[in-house]
Amino acid sequence: MALTVTPDTYNFVAFDTAYTARIAERMATQLGLDDIDILLAINENSSLTRIDVTVTDALITIAPHSGALEDTRRPRQQSELNTTITIARGMLRARDRLRGGFADAPADAELTLPQAAAWDTYIMGRIAHMDIVLNKQAWVYNFRNRHGFSDAVDAVFEKLWNCESTTWAELSSLSANTVSVTA
Amino acid sequence: MADPTKPRASFAPWDRRELPGSFSVEETARRVGNYKWAETKLFEVLGGWIATVPELDIKLRLGTHCYKHAWHAELWHKRLPELREMNPARLTVPANDALVRFVDAMTEPEDASLTIEKLVGVYRVYIPHFISAYTYHLNNTSEITDMPTIRSLKFILQDEFEDWRDGEMLIQSLLETPDHVDRAAAHQAKLEKLMLEAGGIAGHGSIGINTQAPQGALS
Amino acid sequence: MKKFMPVEELARDERFNQITQADRMADGRNALIGEAEKSRKSNRLTPARPDASEAARALMHGIFVGEIQALEGAGRTCWDFTTGEEAPFELKLDMARQAWDEARHVEISLKLSDWMGSEIGQYAENTVLFQAACSNDPVLRLAGVNRALEGLAIDVFTTMKEFGEIAGDPYLEFCEDWMLADEVTHVKMGSDWLRKITENDPERRKKALEFQGIVDKMFSYGGSRSDSEESSFAIARRFRELAGFTEDENDHIADLGMQALNERKAQLREKQAAVTN
Repeated sequence: MALTVTPDTYNFVAFDTAYTARIAERMATQLGLDDIDILLAINENSSLTRIDVTVTDALITIAPHSGALEDTRRPRQQSELNTTITIARGMLRARDRLRGGFADAPADAELTLPQAAAWDTYIMGRIAHMDIVLNKQAWVYNFRNRHGFSDAVDAVFEKLWNCESTTWAELSSLSANTVSVTA
Repeated sequence: MADPTKPRASFAPWDRRELPGSFSVEETARRVGNYKWAETKLFEVLGGWIATVPELDIKLRLGTHCYKHAWHAELWHKRLPELREMNPARLTVPANDALVRFVDAMTEPEDASLTIEKLVGVYRVYIPHFISAYTYHLNNTSEITDMPTIRSLKFILQDEFEDWRDGEMLIQSLLETPDHVDRAAAHQAKLEKLMLEAGGIAGHGSIGINTQAPQGALS
Repeated sequence: MKKFMPVEELARDERFNQITQADRMADGRNALIGEAEKSRKSNRLTPARPDASEAARALMHGIFVGEIQALEGAGRTCWDFTTGEEAPFELKLDMARQAWDEARHVEISLKLSDWMGSEIGQYAENTVLFQAACSNDPVLRLAGVNRALEGLAIDVFTTMKEFGEIAGDPYLEFCEDWMLADEVTHVKMGSDWLRKITENDPERRKKALEFQGIVDKMFSYGGSRSDSEESSFAIARRFRELAGFTEDENDHIADLGMQALNERKAQLREKQAAVTN
């Protein structure tokens, strides 16, 4: 199946499409998504770190803003690590929706902040377990910001971080219960 | 209940402070003026060096120590008018020209690669000389007439000991090769010779004995 | 060691990557115009932003390197000017005190960065604070470092303190509150010294305040700070007043921020149009 990366050339950042495509192809194979078309549409106009993901039966569209692939030490330069993590995040979210028990999850734009943080924790935990280097504390902090700062919240984080498989129903319920206990 | 009319000794049995001291008001003011000059030079260079050292932990230590020595200079500045020097700037002078040469040499290292030299100058030469001069002063001044100086000396000495220990540990952490040890030793020797010529923070007699080097000894 | 150190010589270990304000402004990407403008009601750094954790982390790193430069600036004031002739002894004592305070702020920022999940040097260091603030005239330096730079710190710390309060982050709110107390003191030091030194020299005072205005505009970082919701942080008027800024001065800084924001938006439109055409 086809993997397309856009744009071909960049005006605002020094990114490399062929290089990005190689990383994406490797990741698609590793995550078992080499049987579906994937469009990786990089929004170079925005320096934000957002990643928009939409999924149909025939196509996964991952649209990261350029900040998500950037080397924060060298603005506008591409980071291999951040590119890998961003693509993995987008693909895992798409795979969850397609095949992982998240078909009934609301669209990305409809997710509450705690729901998005809980789902990100589940995704980033799996990326960490793929031996990709990332700062776990950053995701602890993100989860705490959305669910509260307490040992009980941290315990829920650990559960999601180390979870191999869950569903939207379980994850959203865990997030809602954590928020209500903290509040 | 204690008898309020019963006379008591003016000095409690455990209070063994003595009246005599080695320093007159004038001599005390001279020394205090030298201390203020020397502490001022120290806090100024520590402040200046902050931007020149790449080691983050050392950068932060220098910022902290910069203030401590500024505070010492302030304590001496405030003590001078109490010693009949109404124009503190008049006595805020180096003990002698040799001490100026010492400070010039100590403050010379600038490059980011010279942190060892910077720290050796301050923590292996300059601060040990503060400790000795202050200790001599503390142990020889009148324990009754000069109590305000003693109080300042005690506060300052506590800082000096802590800063010396901080600095010595930082130096030890930087000495990773025999060449580093040689660099540290050579710089220390160079500065110590200049300090020998100066005789200490308050000049010859800083620690009570005349340390005047024989003519030609340093050539 | 020489007097007056150029910004290029600030000593850093290999983890740091320094960039200039010109590098930053050359970035044509944006969160201010076009689609980004429509998709966000506010750019304020609050927990309500979807990217709040990442944005707070990046700002904390900015605070960390800013505190290093403030530490270096205060330290250089102790060294660069001759005591008594170019700068009063007591002014230098204040700068030494400020160096200690800034050293603690760096320590606090390091601990908070760990807490928030970022590493030393993870983001580029913009050296504009040292570059802009460290004038060769002590009065201008007071205006630049103590009033403009430390004034900016008041705005940023207030934003972060509120962020911590809203998110329920006990460390962030606690630490920012303490740092804020120090910054108010530093601005007050600057205001007091500026008044004292230029008491009989209105021309010099005027020059210093003009310099502060230039630095204040630079520190609005292309509109990051203003009363507009489009800016990441607001003018912290209450704490600024405690520090000795008058209402007129705060209004002036707010105006400079709006100017910087509008100029940046125009610049971005130009850059984006150049690409489209």
